[in-house]
Amino acid sequence: MQEKRKASFFKNIIAIRGMGQVITVSSALVVMCIVFGIINPNFFSAKNISNLVRQVAPILIIGIGQSFVLITGNIDLSIGSLVGMSCMISATLMTKGVNPWVSSLITVICCLGMGLISGLLVSKAKLPPFIATLGTMIVARGIAQIANNNYNTDSIGEGAKGFRNFFYYGRTLGVFNTIWIGLIVFLFFNFILSRTKTGRHIYAIGSNIEASKLSGVNVVYTTTIVYIISAFCSTLVGLITTAIGGLGTMDAGNGYELNAVAASVIGGVSTLGGQGILLGTVVGSFIWGVLNNGLQFAGAPVAIRNIVIGIVVVVAVLIDILVRSGKEKSAND
Amino acid sequence: MSEYIVEVKHLCKEFPGVKALDDVSFNLKQGEVVALLGENGAGKSTLVKILSGVYQKDSGELKLFGKEIHYLTPKRAQELGIAIIHQELHLCSHLTVAENIFLGREKVKFGVLSNKDMNVEAAKILAKLNIDLSPETIVEDLPVSKQQMVEIAKALCFNAKILIMDEPTSSLTSKEIEDLFAIINSLKKEGYGIIYITHRLEELEYIADRVTILRDGRFVTSMNFKDTTLPEIISNMVGREIKEKYPRINCNRGKKILEVRNLNAGKLVRNISFDLYEGEIVGFAGLVGAGRTELTKALFGANPIESGEIILDGKKLNIRRPIDAINAGIACAPEDRKKEGLCIKLSIRENISLPNLDSLCNKFGIVNRNKEKELTKSMAKKLRIKMASDLTNAENLSGGNQQKVVVGRWLARNSRVVIFDEPTRGIDVAAKVEIYNLMNELKRQGIGVMFVSSEMPEILGISDRIFVMCEGRITGELDISEATQDKIMEYATRFEKKEINSRTA
Repeated sequence: MQEKRKASFFKNIIAIRGMGQVITVSSALVVMCIVFGIINPNFFSAKNISNLVRQVAPILIIGIGQSFVLITGNIDLSIGSLVGMSCMISATLMTKGVNPWVSSLITVICCLGMGLISGLLVSKAKLPPFIATLGTMIVARGIAQIANNNYNTDSIGEGAKGFRNFFYYGRTLGVFNTIWIGLIVFLFFNFILSRTKTGRHIYAIGSNIEASKLSGVNVVYTTTIVYIISAFCSTLVGLITTAIGGLGTMDAGNGYELNAVAASVIGGVSTLGGQGILLGTVVGSFIWGVLNNGLQFAGAPVAIRNIVIGIVVVVAVLIDILVRSGKEKSAND
Repeated sequence: MSEYIVEVKHLCKEFPGVKALDDVSFNLKQGEVVALLGENGAGKSTLVKILSGVYQKDSGELKLFGKEIHYLTPKRAQELGIAIIHQELHLCSHLTVAENIFLGREKVKFGVLSNKDMNVEAAKILAKLNIDLSPETIVEDLPVSKQQMVEIAKALCFNAKILIMDEPTSSLTSKEIEDLFAIINSLKKEGYGIIYITHRLEELEYIADRVTILRDGRFVTSMNFKDTTLPEIISNMVGREIKEKYPRINCNRGKKILEVRNLNAGKLVRNISFDLYEGEIVGFAGLVGAGRTELTKALFGANPIESGEIILDGKKLNIRRPIDAINAGIACAPEDRKKEGLCIKLSIRENISLPNLDSLCNKFGIVNRNKEKELTKSMAKKLRIKMASDLTNAENLSGGNQQKVVVGRWLARNSRVVIFDEPTRGIDVAAKVEIYNLMNELKRQGIGVMFVSSEMPEILGISDRIFVMCEGRITGELDISEATQDKIMEYATRFEKKEINSRTA
């Protein structure tokens, strides 16, 4: 009886849509870790692991934001610029002596505003998402630059120590706070996506927007929400970036939007919409992090790391396509 | 015998569950226009697709230009000289006329496109056809009629000898139709063979030499147009007895549920008025493109309504989006289940619960999975949806079961009106009967059923009252006791007399 229950438990897990890809990619991740562990025994040291996970957390957070957008069949190019905008606005306010928490709140409001604009441009004005968010991406970068008159900020100072600890340096129960933030963001948004009406609507829109409309789904609302979620994730990462450096840099988050796409698609989120789960994004961002960290340990220069990650993105999606077409063939026979 | 350029004998073609063509014969001579006639689903397009190499025949004989052909691909058909002018045009709208004509066979000098040569040659072809067009015009800027002529020019440029035209006049004004007929007649004189598909029988007298009629995938007759009459053609097209595969239940007509007054929504919903009572199924018949689907979309809030009133249970509705209609109690199973009905990447359970999430969620918007499971289970049982598990993707279901999912998800709501748009298209007979039973069940429950179908036997078999539409208008209302296929066909082809120059495209 016990065993039967166990078997059906595993069956249920595998039955979750998108789990197949997650399992494939997870095994790749395990193999990768073992390889790096053999090359460098220090790879598995507690210190390295906790650093690695802390490095991965920001990628995971923006990956989650991008995954939401991708599942509706859209894309958000403004993520990186929003990270920069969030970093610059928060740091500028703090150097001007505003309380760090008040600064953070103001930053969140500003950045969610940008997300709202992206969302409305796509959902209401029906601009192609690539164009709409290309626009907001450039504007957000401009705002990041204008925030402190085209300069990076000075140090946010001793007063912001609590802020810096909260987002990056501090630990809770022995684990870095950044990791906690990543975990909470994952759990919360995973719940939204898999258990709520809004989450269901997100999948439905990505799968078939016409059918969704005819089923009474409010497409404009849901699409806008998705962009706001993505903006929220970017803002959070911007605040973490401020905490890491203790100052605002104008080009913070450069290229993050595509790292976020990479983390999502490696984990099985389809850029065509309707497919993918956030657990995949978690694995995807870890692959990104482990590759970076492991190769760095192995002494590979940044250029080599980029080449490897680029290849991994393409191969991961290619394998998924091959597996799927194989399945279809066997289904048709 | 060898004068035939197309000779088809005993042709059969079967699709899973449907015999699309059954022992069909067809001939075409040089310099002849043969009109291929039949109801929707009679097998005209299957025949045409076999002739152009899109489908392969299962058995039978196919001779082109006197030569037996065993295996035909679209490319081979084109090389042999067969060209199709589709109802929807296949042109690259951003390119010029000449670029379209030479697409795929561009003239090149030393690896460089020689636009001049192509323009000159395109101009020649256009002049030959008496088409007043500059080869350098961008296709997008042309009216549909002219685009169609470009298609014809393109076909001739491929050295086509056999032209297949699939309802070429459906979007043309009468002046444009005249021009097209002039071209057809001049092509005929030059020895081209033309297969002409149309629903507008009154056009035949201007161009047709012969008519070939198909019905239910079978060859009915082929006759010289001069020796026949329109009524004879019509009765050959529809003359089929209806078997008892249509379960009918009798209910007393209750009170009025839905009333639509002077509804206008776009070109294909003009001044529509009708009503719907409890305990009846109201059928909407007509030819493809008559505006029936557009009417359902307008009622459901998917197409904007310009004017008119929709009254449900005595209350005037203001429907602007589908959600308004759903909240008011109108449900709709759309025509194209893959495109508009299902999220094929999602599971059966998720598809069924999609429009019902409001009742499956608590006030924080969290889906109650147990309720969802129960709903799916009860629906699957009620509709006898055959599936491995309710977590299977909707994609993997058969057409009939997919349709049951599309229909089934609305039954969990207390709908007052359920609209079925072509609910039985492409599904097998057994599944069809289950869908009919479902409609009958709704009828018994006092829910108004609006039933759009292009298949006359089922419209006649299931409906209590029939409205016939043509060109966006209701051209006739028939009680089931007086309705016959001939009468429906007559109403369905009651096109407005197009005055010359009345409309410019």
